[in-house]
Amino acid sequence: MRNASETTRAAAPAAERTAGNRAARPPLLRDPRRLVGVGLLVALAVVVLVFPMTTSVGYLLSTGVVILNYALMATGWNFMGGFTGYISLGHAAYFGLGAYAVAILIDRTGMSPFLALALAPLVVVVIAIPVGVAALRVRGASFVIVTIAFVLILLLVAQSWASLTGGSTGLMVPRAFQGLMRTEHHQVFYYIYVAALVLALLVWWRIDRSRFGMGLKAVREDEDKARALGVPTFRAKLIAFAWSAFFTGLAGALYALWFGDLDPVFQFSILMGAYMVLMALLGGVRELFGPLLGAIVVGLAIEFFKAEFGDTQFHLVATGLLLALVVLFMPEGVIPAVKGLFARFGPQASSIREVSAQQLLDGTQDAPDDDAPVAPGGVGRVR
Amino acid sequence: MSSALLLQSLILGILLGGLYALLASGLTLYFGVMRVVMIAHSAFLILAGYLAWFFTVQTGLDPMISLLITVPLFFGIGVLMQRLLITRLKPASLTMMSVLLTFAIALVIEGMLGFTFTGVQRRIRLDYGASSIEVLGAQVAVVKLVAFGLAALALGSLWFVLKKTSFGQALRATIQHKEAAELVGIDTAKVASYGFGLGLATAAVGGTALALDATIYPSLHWHWIGPLMAIIVVGGLGSIPGAAVAAMLLGVTQSLLQVPLGTTWAQTVFYVALFVTLMVRPQGFFGGRLAQRF
Repeated sequence: MRNASETTRAAAPAAERTAGNRAARPPLLRDPRRLVGVGLLVALAVVVLVFPMTTSVGYLLSTGVVILNYALMATGWNFMGGFTGYISLGHAAYFGLGAYAVAILIDRTGMSPFLALALAPLVVVVIAIPVGVAALRVRGASFVIVTIAFVLILLLVAQSWASLTGGSTGLMVPRAFQGLMRTEHHQVFYYIYVAALVLALLVWWRIDRSRFGMGLKAVREDEDKARALGVPTFRAKLIAFAWSAFFTGLAGALYALWFGDLDPVFQFSILMGAYMVLMALLGGVRELFGPLLGAIVVGLAIEFFKAEFGDTQFHLVATGLLLALVVLFMPEGVIPAVKGLFARFGPQASSIREVSAQQLLDGTQDAPDDDAPVAPGGVGRVR
Repeated sequence: MSSALLLQSLILGILLGGLYALLASGLTLYFGVMRVVMIAHSAFLILAGYLAWFFTVQTGLDPMISLLITVPLFFGIGVLMQRLLITRLKPASLTMMSVLLTFAIALVIEGMLGFTFTGVQRRIRLDYGASSIEVLGAQVAVVKLVAFGLAALALGSLWFVLKKTSFGQALRATIQHKEAAELVGIDTAKVASYGFGLGLATAAVGGTALALDATIYPSLHWHWIGPLMAIIVVGGLGSIPGAAVAAMLLGVTQSLLQVPLGTTWAQTVFYVALFVTLMVRPQGFFGGRLAQRF
């Protein structure tokens, strides 16, 4: 069972007023926890942005691009998995579709690679919506089954429809930037990936704080209750699904332009879908930066394994064991676990906050300090 | 399509459908007792196939004798898996997390198989491997008939256990309504773990039957899990007769479509059926009330 603070995080009614909430919080410099958070964010941004300038080793740069690719996919996955709790093991489908869409658009119409890059995620969304309509009619296990089935179908199609997809030999994608050195090519794509990732994080952050996001999180906690309270659950889930497919497709489209060579077995691999789930779960699906953190940890581990042990079956075992450990012992992810650790040593917050009916009506109840005087007979509200 | 060819495909389809039915009923058992979708089912299937192959290579005996070892072994693994792993998951997110957990188990099994036996394709050589007999004017390989017989026997015993024994009655009661079963004195935790073991035992039988006439390799289980999952959704999650009927129908359809479309495209029949089912009748064609909610 979940504990009370988690359930109410989704159910707390005041989310739309977070802007007001923010104003009432103590200034940044006097709030140590927020200061740490902002400091970490700035440090992360600096490290991410400076990293490609510090090295000209092609292998390191390409590892950086690969990890950003994982991060973008995992963040894209988290639009569905994090907000609604619908776990998709088949998101590799949208990754592969994005990649193939770019390749086929350039190949067939001769359009500019940049136009193809802009169109490909939209193509993915157009394909994802009917799939979502079918998949979202069922919950839980059946949903997972449908997502897995969709990857397997696309793998079959990509291998068999040779006239369009090149069959088992795959497709070559022309280069977007002519005349760049190999390391420069990596650097350019590194920054493009960073931009795409920032875009994905911004959209996720915006949804997280919106009324729409509240509805999605209500679906995650209890879909029937959410529906009874008037959340248009099906539409909300479908929109989240479409965003999710969009960003995963964008990752695939970028990957195609960067790597330049598509292999159906790699593009539509269930293992890739499993990586996305593992990364997001490891970092924490309820956290904005959870999938990014997970992608860095798992991505580095994957690259290390490949470099160290080559292409053996061993990375399957390692991935499987890691996934099992996360599912069994840390299903909420690393970030909440660490936050919980800090909270244990920090000042204890009281678990019950009291608000009077008058305060509720005035709309001023947003951030009463925990130690503020409580109106007699106030309405108790679980925080 | 000539009528002889049609008959041939029909018979092959029925033989294949029998194996599908056995494996799908195992999946249905897990779902029934624990609300668990066992992605690792087909990985255990391939594991059993490898054990049968290894047994035959080492001892020179018929691979079916390996069932004496693998069936109790898999039953035990199933019981332990349910006791030690599945019950650890939080009930609120059990279904989703169990999918991930069993997926992880599938990856580990695939990796270990590749590690131990390498990725080389394996095939059991049998004296009767090449022989075939004539059934109603169609040539059918003996191994396929043996495999079907094995599957039918296992499915029959499963039916007998479920319908005719008091354990089976307890198991069905647990599937239908866990709390009510507890109220009438059934130890549902124990029954559920035995049900899990029973499900995994079907994978042992199915894997041996598969290894009799198919080439096996570690990543083969991905080709099985998709169709099997489609079958249990089409049949209605939690319904064993539904799973068996859907398995037969889809197995025969796949076999018939192989002639005009080729093997690869014929496989899409499972996924087409899956999507049609979701659009028309999300709870499955023979399914109970369970399916849509889980």
